[in-house]
Amino acid sequence: MKLFSFEVPEPTEALPSIKSRYGILQWISSTDHKQLGILYLWVSLFFFLVGGFEAMLMRLQLAWPGLQIVSPQTFNELFTMHGTTMVFLVLMPTLIGLATYFLPLMIGANEMAFPRLNAMSLWMTLFGGLLLNFSFFAGGAPDAGWFSYAPLSEKNYSFSSGLDYYSIGLIVTGIGSIGAGLNFVVTTLTMRIKGMRLRKVPLFVWMVFINSFLILAAFPLLNAGLVMLLIDRQLGSHFFLPNTGGSALLWQHFFWAFGHPEVYILALPGFGIISEVIPVFSRKNIFGYTTLAATTVFIALLSFGVWAHHMFVAGLGNPINTFFAAGSMLIGIPTGIKIVNWMATMWGGNLYFSTSMLFAVAFILDFTLGGLSGIAVAIVPLDWRVTDTYFVVAHIHYVFLGGTLFTIFSGIYYWFPKISGRMLNERLGKWHFWLFLLGFNMTFFFQHILGFMGMPRRVFSYPDLPYYAILNLISSIGAVFMLIAVIIFIYNIFKSLRTGELAGNNPWNAWTLEWYTTSPPQLKNFETLPDVTSLRPIIDWEKQKAIQKS
Amino acid sequence: MKIVFRQTKLLMQLFIASESLFFVALIIAYIYFRNFSDTWEASTNYLNVKRTAIFSIFLFSSSGTITVAKYALENNKRKLLISSLILTILLGATFVFGQVTEYMDLYQQEVTIDQNIFGSAFFTLTGFHGFHVFLGLIILTIYLILTLLDVFRMRDPSSAFLAAEWYWHFVDVVWVFVFFIVYLMPLL
Amino acid sequence: MEKSIYHIFRSSSEDTDIMNELFFHFFIAAFIVFLLVAAFLIFIVRKYKTKTLEKDHFTIQENRLTERLTLFLASVLVIVFLFLTVKVIFKIQKTPTEDQKPFVKITGHQWWWEIEYLGDTLFTANELHIPTGDKFVALMESADVVHDWYVPALGRKIDMVPGVTNFVWIQARDPGVYEGMCNEFCGAQHTWMRVEVFAHEPKEFDKWFQAQKEDAVEKPDSLFQKGKQLFQDKVCANCHTIRGTTAKAKVGPDLTHFASRNKMLGGKAEVNYENIQNWIKDPQKMKHGAYMPNFLMTEEEINALAHYLYNLK
Ligand code: HEA
Ligand code: HEA
Ligand code: HEC
Ligand code: CUA
Ligand SMILES: [Cu+2]
Repeated sequence: MKLFSFEVPEPTEALPSIKSRYGILQWISSTDHKQLGILYLWVSLFFFLVGGFEAMLMRLQLAWPGLQIVSPQTFNELFTMHGTTMVFLVLMPTLIGLATYFLPLMIGANEMAFPRLNAMSLWMTLFGGLLLNFSFFAGGAPDAGWFSYAPLSEKNYSFSSGLDYYSIGLIVTGIGSIGAGLNFVVTTLTMRIKGMRLRKVPLFVWMVFINSFLILAAFPLLNAGLVMLLIDRQLGSHFFLPNTGGSALLWQHFFWAFGHPEVYILALPGFGIISEVIPVFSRKNIFGYTTLAATTVFIALLSFGVWAHHMFVAGLGNPINTFFAAGSMLIGIPTGIKIVNWMATMWGGNLYFSTSMLFAVAFILDFTLGGLSGIAVAIVPLDWRVTDTYFVVAHIHYVFLGGTLFTIFSGIYYWFPKISGRMLNERLGKWHFWLFLLGFNMTFFFQHILGFMGMPRRVFSYPDLPYYAILNLISSIGAVFMLIAVIIFIYNIFKSLRTGELAGNNPWNAWTLEWYTTSPPQLKNFETLPDVTSLRPIIDWEKQKAIQKS
Repeated sequence: MKIVFRQTKLLMQLFIASESLFFVALIIAYIYFRNFSDTWEASTNYLNVKRTAIFSIFLFSSSGTITVAKYALENNKRKLLISSLILTILLGATFVFGQVTEYMDLYQQEVTIDQNIFGSAFFTLTGFHGFHVFLGLIILTIYLILTLLDVFRMRDPSSAFLAAEWYWHFVDVVWVFVFFIVYLMPLL
Repeated sequence: MEKSIYHIFRSSSEDTDIMNELFFHFFIAAFIVFLLVAAFLIFIVRKYKTKTLEKDHFTIQENRLTERLTLFLASVLVIVFLFLTVKVIFKIQKTPTEDQKPFVKITGHQWWWEIEYLGDTLFTANELHIPTGDKFVALMESADVVHDWYVPALGRKIDMVPGVTNFVWIQARDPGVYEGMCNEFCGAQHTWMRVEVFAHEPKEFDKWFQAQKEDAVEKPDSLFQKGKQLFQDKVCANCHTIRGTTAKAKVGPDLTHFASRNKMLGGKAEVNYENIQNWIKDPQKMKHGAYMPNFLMTEEEINALAHYLYNLK
């Protein structure tokens, strides 16, 4: 009767390495949340290189008017795949990966609630991503933009099988993400260590938790839209074909009803990382713990009431536009409160600028800029001026890079010692930071101006109007700086994995539970844990120990 | 063991909530097109309400039989468990069979998925429901086989049955809505 | 003429004025918010920076004042700009009354514009000519995928959604040429779906309008006649209209007064003899993906056609 046991498999052995006897096989068949977390991170790094490579090609093509480095068709495939890859195969898996690794550790659990579901999520994500990218070799990648507006995405207008790969690939990764979301919620609710009430859960866990509800609510909408698109393309139905009774706007509604929550899905866990990093490097408690959690709930709720701000020019009518403008602008309030809370956390602390902290501070500034340009396009008349120009491209990248990617870098510099047992080289880290910061702002700040100068997005070339060439060139040069920075980052990872300084359990003197165990943790994270009584368990326990000694 | 039970409950609740939204989206599409299409009325006439109502009763009653199965499981009645499981599967399969005949009928009257927007919306919505029923049948069959093999000890609080049962009820409830919206509303 | 900087703040209409005004107001507000955040951040960083990772900790410090202050200030900002938004959009996107009949209907095609002057039902393509003066309503439709009409100086942008008829107010106070483009990604050649709007004094406009209403010119010279004949024989007439001839199809742009236009192919090239030749010789080379096939014509035929088209002033 041992055939089926529904218990949580409690790991017993040490973490395998590729060199150990069952190395690769064990990684592939693993259900350990730490191994899966690491795999998630590798997957996203791989796709980051793919997506970044596509971006570099685009910047090369746009560096000067009239260049013909890639064909128009290829260019369309490039930005579609760049956007899709970065959103679904880079930011999603990185954030989910970090959460898979650290959420159980931070709540004192040994595993996720459903380890096998966890493994399934990872492999679905990877498989969907490979499927999507396989389209390059199967007659042409999707070419209708990352939101694939119908009817351009229909068979009549996009002949290659790219969009079929797009639909299927995204459904597959989407199911993976739903699995991860389910797992996070259940784990957070049922597996916290004794004493860790919901008010004592680290903010990263809070935000992943809330985020998971967003995933559960948003992805079914995308899946529904995608299956309709797929059925349209494969079985000849008429959902999004206006000339035969369908509706082009319905797709837009479905996509953005998913798409807007999605961009917050990509932002909230990042906010969580920042809420862990800033206190540690300020040597202070987080300011306004409750507010930070509560504002996240607000943002999550509001995010379902703003989707039509992507459709302000679709002609939906003034009342509808007013409603969605109000929703969008309201999101500025809780987000603003968060920004102030992070700064207030730093106020009066002892700020230590490790690379991790540098990224966190840069995040605050650049994300504010991105958020403000978001409010700008939420003001309907301003959107009527700049939507689908490079201003929006600048907004996207200020919130995705200056927002989420900076938090991810921050998180990786912060947690790498825990994952690998070795520190990342700080000197290389500083190079990475400053080069990336420079390159990022150079590339994307000037795109605001290009937007003001009326340069539409998604064009493979542009007329030689005054200043277009020079601004685009600056932007492309900035991208090269980013490229160098990323190469340094990757070099740093590989070098530090081998020769980095040993980290010890708690190199940053942090206080959340993941720092209580060894670096890297054994397969079984914790043997026993004392009671958790505050937000800073490790410090409490140290104090107790000191008292006992004396 | 209790925690697994709790976890499965939670998992199923969340999963069902999430999956409902998928159907909500398909239903919204259906209603949207019903309100904005002019060829719609004519097409709904092809639907066979009576027959589908009868087959629906099979599906609805399977919700009852699976509750019996649960009772049997809790009270350690192996025979009752097996027979009620088989009955559930049969009832579900009958419903699927009903759907197939409905589809064939429509096909003969040239109402197909690529015929017009009604066909697209109708077949997608009911098709995905049918697909979910089909998955449920597979799940129940696996459970039946494992029970026959005595892999589950009786009174096993294992959460597997819970998951299957809830999923089955979910599929039923979805059909209540779909049946009402697709078949009954045109009659009102 | 020296090209001036092209930007979206150039205005020749009331609507654009209002939108720009709002734009600058928000810009100032956003700038102040950003400066506040930046200044605060820099201050904190400079004041509390340390060289080593300390071990001791402060106790919890909660001061609700900052939160409430942010809540208040941000709310004020939101309320003010929401109010302004509502004011402006109801002014700009006003539903036309009965007697404000639409003046033109613009239809987006992959990748060219069809323009229909309503009332007089005159069809042209790829260039919009309007009289200066009051604003008028333009209808927006699409023949295939979603396009977007945007001429910054003349008003807001508006999508052309297939199956939907949108409207927009257009106004040009001053005569001149206004650049615009398709602003929604619409396929391979979205890049070259630009448009120029020519605003004339009303009198000038009438003159232009009457000229356009004429059928295509006739010339007796043999090359012209040969080209005209070829246009019928070589299936060009299956897609294009040239009024006054038997070519009446509407798959591609109307070519009745083709040579009176400034640019062709969505702003990709000037209208001149050479470009016309190149285009007929190999459309895919000039505008890859355009829905006009290569007819594999001889040099002679191409010359005749180009000569013909170039004379359609
Ligand atoms: C991480 C992702 C992310 C985040 C966090 C945001 C945040 C916001 N976004 Fe953005 N958005 C995208 C990703 C994101 N966006 C993407 C990818 C697109 C383009 C999709 C595409 O077309 O390809 C897009 C497009 C987009 C549009 C459509 C533009 C168009 O296509 O025309 C709009 C319009 O309203 C918008 C609004 C907003 C708003 C109001 C916020 C707010 O949440 C911002 C809130 C933050 C702040 C305001 C800053 C801090 C606040 C203060 C300092 C307080 C004081 C300030 C005020 C109260 C004003 N976004
Ligand atoms: C997470 C989100 C994310 C990230 C990180 C990025 C990163 C970058 N993006 Fe992207 N971008 C989007 C999300 C993102 N983007 C989205 C959603 C769109 C909209 C798509 C659409 O319109 O449909 C978009 C669109 C977009 C455009 C507009 C295209 C258009 O409208 O025509 C541009 C143009 O400059 C651009 C540039 C860049 C650049 C230069 C980077 C750089 O920061 C990249 C830096 C990374 C690297 C440089 C990787 C380093 C690589 C290596 C080390 C390997 C090198 C290997 C070889 C050379 C062999 N992006
Ligand atoms: C299958 C349909 C089709 C046929 C046949 C066709 N064209 Fe075209 N033509 C088009 C389309 C579509 C465009 C618009 C291309 C674009 O700008 O993307 C166009 C554009 C043009 C233009 C440029 C108009 C402008 O204002 O930009 C000219 C000139 C032209 N065609 C001439 C011809 C000639 C000469 C022939 C015959 C030899 C011909 N066409 C046959 C579809 C066709
Ligand atoms: Cu038409 Cu872009
Ligand atoms: Cu949005």
